[in-house]
Amino acid sequence: MTEEIKKLFQERLGRYQAAISLEPTDRIPIAPGSNYFAEVFSGNTHQETLYDPQKWLEAEMAFAREFPQTDVLRDNRLWGPSLDAIGLQTYKLPGKDLPPDDQFQFVEQEYMKADEYDLLIEDPVDFMFTRWLPRILGEYNGQAEPRSYMAFLKAGLAQAQFVQIMRNRAMRLEEECGMPQPMTGAFVAPFDALADAMRGLTGVIMDTFRQPDKVVAACDRLVEEMANFALSTADPLKRYPIFVPTHKACFLSPEQFDTFYWPSFKRVLEILTSAGYKIRAYLEGDWGPHWHHLLELPKGTIICDIDNQGDIFQAKRDIGHHQCLAGGIPDSQFILGTPEDVRKRVKELCDTLGQGGGFLIGGGCNIPHTTRPENYQAMVDAVLEFGRYDETVKPLPKDTAGPVNVKAFDFPKKLTPWEVKKKEIGGSVPGDENLIQEPWDRLEAMAYAWLWQWTM
Amino acid sequence: MHPIAEALRDLEEEKVKLLVDEELENGTPVMEVVGHLNEGMVAVGELFSAGDYFISQLIFSAEIIKGIMGRVQPMIQETGTASGGTAGRVIIGTVKGDIHDIGKNIVVSLLRGSGFEVIDMGVDVPAQDFVKAVQESGAKVVGLSALLNSTYPEMKNVVGAHAEAGLRDQVQIVIGGTPINEQVREFSGADYYAEDAVAGVDICKKAYE
Repeated sequence: MTEEIKKLFQERLGRYQAAISLEPTDRIPIAPGSNYFAEVFSGNTHQETLYDPQKWLEAEMAFAREFPQTDVLRDNRLWGPSLDAIGLQTYKLPGKDLPPDDQFQFVEQEYMKADEYDLLIEDPVDFMFTRWLPRILGEYNGQAEPRSYMAFLKAGLAQAQFVQIMRNRAMRLEEECGMPQPMTGAFVAPFDALADAMRGLTGVIMDTFRQPDKVVAACDRLVEEMANFALSTADPLKRYPIFVPTHKACFLSPEQFDTFYWPSFKRVLEILTSAGYKIRAYLEGDWGPHWHHLLELPKGTIICDIDNQGDIFQAKRDIGHHQCLAGGIPDSQFILGTPEDVRKRVKELCDTLGQGGGFLIGGGCNIPHTTRPENYQAMVDAVLEFGRYDETVKPLPKDTAGPVNVKAFDFPKKLTPWEVKKKEIGGSVPGDENLIQEPWDRLEAMAYAWLWQWTM
Repeated sequence: MHPIAEALRDLEEEKVKLLVDEELENGTPVMEVVGHLNEGMVAVGELFSAGDYFISQLIFSAEIIKGIMGRVQPMIQETGTASGGTAGRVIIGTVKGDIHDIGKNIVVSLLRGSGFEVIDMGVDVPAQDFVKAVQESGAKVVGLSALLNSTYPEMKNVVGAHAEAGLRDQVQIVIGGTPINEQVREFSGADYYAEDAVAGVDICKKAYE
């Protein structure tokens, strides 16, 4: 990495982190979370981005060179082969299930039945292997067959490759473009884990009326699981926030949100923030009736991406003094608007949301695939024109490195920890136990986390 | 307000079932019972529009009705009272390139709950299929749904396909869904955009006034 690139990286990351912590910066960061525009900007089809890591990275690098004022960059999050290896049913993928230039789509169904709550609550891993995974992993039908075993083997190998792909991307973007990530690692709120890939929206809504206690108990049971998954996939250096898209809160009444969504979600957030992480939360839909709850978390720990349906100006008044806000430019303006429209909108945002800092400019939870390049450029130009604070303020990245402290549960979770195995083989080994235990537990933890990714 | 309508408005599922059973046992005509349910549905819609109810409550009320309609449908067909009794005919579907249907399904349930005959085209529906459905059914309203913002050109395409087929004056085209707003309506050439599910039902009602 050249000194110039290193300086650029530090400058961008410092600016991003300072805004998140509601501290002074030189200008409003251009820091959308999901920049879908970037993955197709170089001319990739959607299939190419999802299936060819080289083309995916090339697209990101081309974007980073074309729009160097962008402060962080993240787009696609899937690698098709790792989903194909196990036959994931919850996504339709471009080029395989959809035309190559369509974006991937989530297939929501009742993958968990209404009468299976007790199974999930009593033993989530057993529930997964006997009920849920056979329904969502097409190559694993729940039977002890060679094809199922091979599917898990392939999926494990694919996972190792995918981790390598992601590490390589982040490293090359950092070292060749000076480009930080807006987030690393992810989880969903316990209620969303239940509502997205298990019960589906209609199913879970019925449950909130017909068997409310079960829904609450299941969400409670999922707190540690979601926190474990988040911490397992997070940036070990804690430079970047952990990502949480919140899918189903917008459908709930405030009473339902307070009963079913918030208590368990808050506990996950508390575990992660007390471990030293920031969270980037996509507040999807209109979170207006719910976002006051984010005042309950420590100041400057939750980045709130306000969706197109939310009133970001109201969010500024309600919670902007306590948490960093992101977004502001409607999807339709990026896709259908003119550069002049965008310029006006950015000026308005700088004059309001930008006041006092704690604001990241971008789209409502994403920059759309079909954004007009001239509109993205207009956003950048307008931020440089209207979004400057004090040129002498040059915040450096924070010293975030250090141990990840988790008091709430034994992190990382494992199905068969070394201690159990050791007992099975007589309670001791003749050689150096550490040489055996560390990799045993590490692989256990990786496999355990792998299981839970299908809730995302 | 009839107790059935009231119970539905208050989302008391068991009570609605019980009251419907009582009415039917007492010999109340089935269409009268359906009328009470429609009245309750209107009340739920009003509470939603006023901001007192949220989408979860719309979904639940629609599911309560669905459960009851599943039981009374055979009776309606027996008595033959369904013909000519609908509030109108509406075609609805998620446009090509998008397979999401949560929003569409809510609107379908509300429309049926409000007495409309709904031709649900499903998801990923090509423009020509909408046109064909209009030609075959004579429906006055076509509803286009989407979750993905990549569907704007397809919305425009569907509107254009109706114009090409010479049907543009015969149908009102309504678009709705998460990424839809006035700017998208203008781009697509649709007649209306529905801010939410209840607004969509109101537009359909107006079209058949």
